[in-house]
Amino acid sequence: MSYRIIRVIGFCFLLTGCAYFSTTTEIEQPTSAYPEPDPQMARQLDAYRDSMNSVMGQKVATVQDTLKFGKPESSLNNIVADALRFQAASTLRQFVHVGITGEESFKLYFVPGKLTVRDVYEFMPYNNHLVVLSMSGEKLMTLIEQVADMGGAPISGVRFRIDEDGNPNSVLVNAQVLDPDETYLVATSSWAANGGDKFPALWNVSDRSDLELSIREVYINYFKNQVELTASTDGRIRR
Amino acid sequence: MISRKTFLKQSVYALAGSAVVPGIADKFTDLIENPSITILYTNDTHSRIDPYPKNAREFAGLGGIAKRSSLVKKIRFEEKNVLLLDAGDVFQGTPWFDQYGGKVDFEMMSEMGYDAMAIGNHEFDLGLEGFADAAKSAEFSFLCANYSTWNTPMHPFVEHELIKEIDGYKVGIFGLGIQLEGIVDPKLHGRVHYRDPVLSAKRSVENFRNFHACDYIICLSHLGYEYDGNQIDDVSLAQEVSGIDLIIGGHTHTFLDNHVAVENPDGSETLITQMGHSGIRLGRIDLHLNKKSPRPLVTSQYYTIGGNS
Repeated sequence: MSYRIIRVIGFCFLLTGCAYFSTTTEIEQPTSAYPEPDPQMARQLDAYRDSMNSVMGQKVATVQDTLKFGKPESSLNNIVADALRFQAASTLRQFVHVGITGEESFKLYFVPGKLTVRDVYEFMPYNNHLVVLSMSGEKLMTLIEQVADMGGAPISGVRFRIDEDGNPNSVLVNAQVLDPDETYLVATSSWAANGGDKFPALWNVSDRSDLELSIREVYINYFKNQVELTASTDGRIRR
Repeated sequence: MISRKTFLKQSVYALAGSAVVPGIADKFTDLIENPSITILYTNDTHSRIDPYPKNAREFAGLGGIAKRSSLVKKIRFEEKNVLLLDAGDVFQGTPWFDQYGGKVDFEMMSEMGYDAMAIGNHEFDLGLEGFADAAKSAEFSFLCANYSTWNTPMHPFVEHELIKEIDGYKVGIFGLGIQLEGIVDPKLHGRVHYRDPVLSAKRSVENFRNFHACDYIICLSHLGYEYDGNQIDDVSLAQEVSGIDLIIGGHTHTFLDNHVAVENPDGSETLITQMGHSGIRLGRIDLHLNKKSPRPLVTSQYYTIGGNS
């Protein structure tokens, strides 16, 4: 109510140039700091942030280079796929042939400096878990065709070249020629296995183990083991 | 990115200010006698308390609840009648949620003076007890007309409808939630059951119009904007139910730059709007009331939070 009256008075002043305005000195000034943050709320949040940082601020690894996702392969593509494969292997205490994930679920790229638990949570905001699928070589080849068709995706344990028609050539699995009759273990996220990413070959696989390890734990553990994250590509997917 | 659009009210002021002619007084009376209601809204904020980090792959630097708060304060200073609403999915998305389970979000939303929010599917992410724990920090209404919450920990916190009376003008607000099957783990939603949103919407509209003489009806919907299949969405809701003036939507994270008008069975119109997600945008709809006309003149715009505005 008071706002409205003050505005109308101010308005009269604008229009007529009368001195009416000067008599209402106790005008409420706008308390807003916009576009700056509300200082009062920022203080309240800082209190919460301080206690959150004891957990979320813990260092996971040091990032040495700027690491990004990219096609056909990139340092961050390779890191996220290797992490799935190696964490699955160490959980199962068994060799795992392939790791694969879509890149759409990841929300950050990495910049040089300290990587914290909080960063990993921002990097992978979803609460999915690790899944290991057992599939035939034939099915694995279908999966690799889907990756090639996308122009590349985060994948580990596989090397191939994408030809002009978008098909995979010279496909090697763990440095050996892919055997259509062999059985391969493929590590991925529950999201991808449930139909979330764009790899239909991962959907409806009957021989599937759901591990009690969240994807975030996968990355936290893997990055901790790596200690330093550096830019490196190994030509696993070539054009 | 467009951050702000001019809206009618500002231009009325500008016009009045530049023309020192008789009759101006009539314009003032007009503005005072025909007030406006400003509806501010968000959806799917997903615990984006802090702005997106600088190294985010998308939306770097955008959002932030303290910036939203200062914008809301600014608008509250400029406008007398403000409603602040959310269409659900405040839960899940950042370390804030992992650490505080939505409590901080609800506290800050209360601080900002939110009037009501819909229940999103992610509001079940910590189970019904988890929701109830966080909801204790909320000083606003949780609206859902189509979930049966009877005998569950959610029940004390959820209402079907809310009526806001502003200068004698009655705004009825109700909420709709998305189907739970296939979207929410049955272990998490427990004995909360989903009911047909079309039926619930018709019931709410009837209640508002016939028993409470509401002048304007808003639906806070977490159904989603539009689907390919025959799943109920905001567009089909508007096509099937007459009498809803405005649907503030969510779930599909749709950035609608302008509201969309959909024709109802009775030939009237429902406006649909949605502001993407994560508090990147604050939506604004102004209802310019006019005693001579039953329907207010509607102008809409949005603000990009943390953008160069």
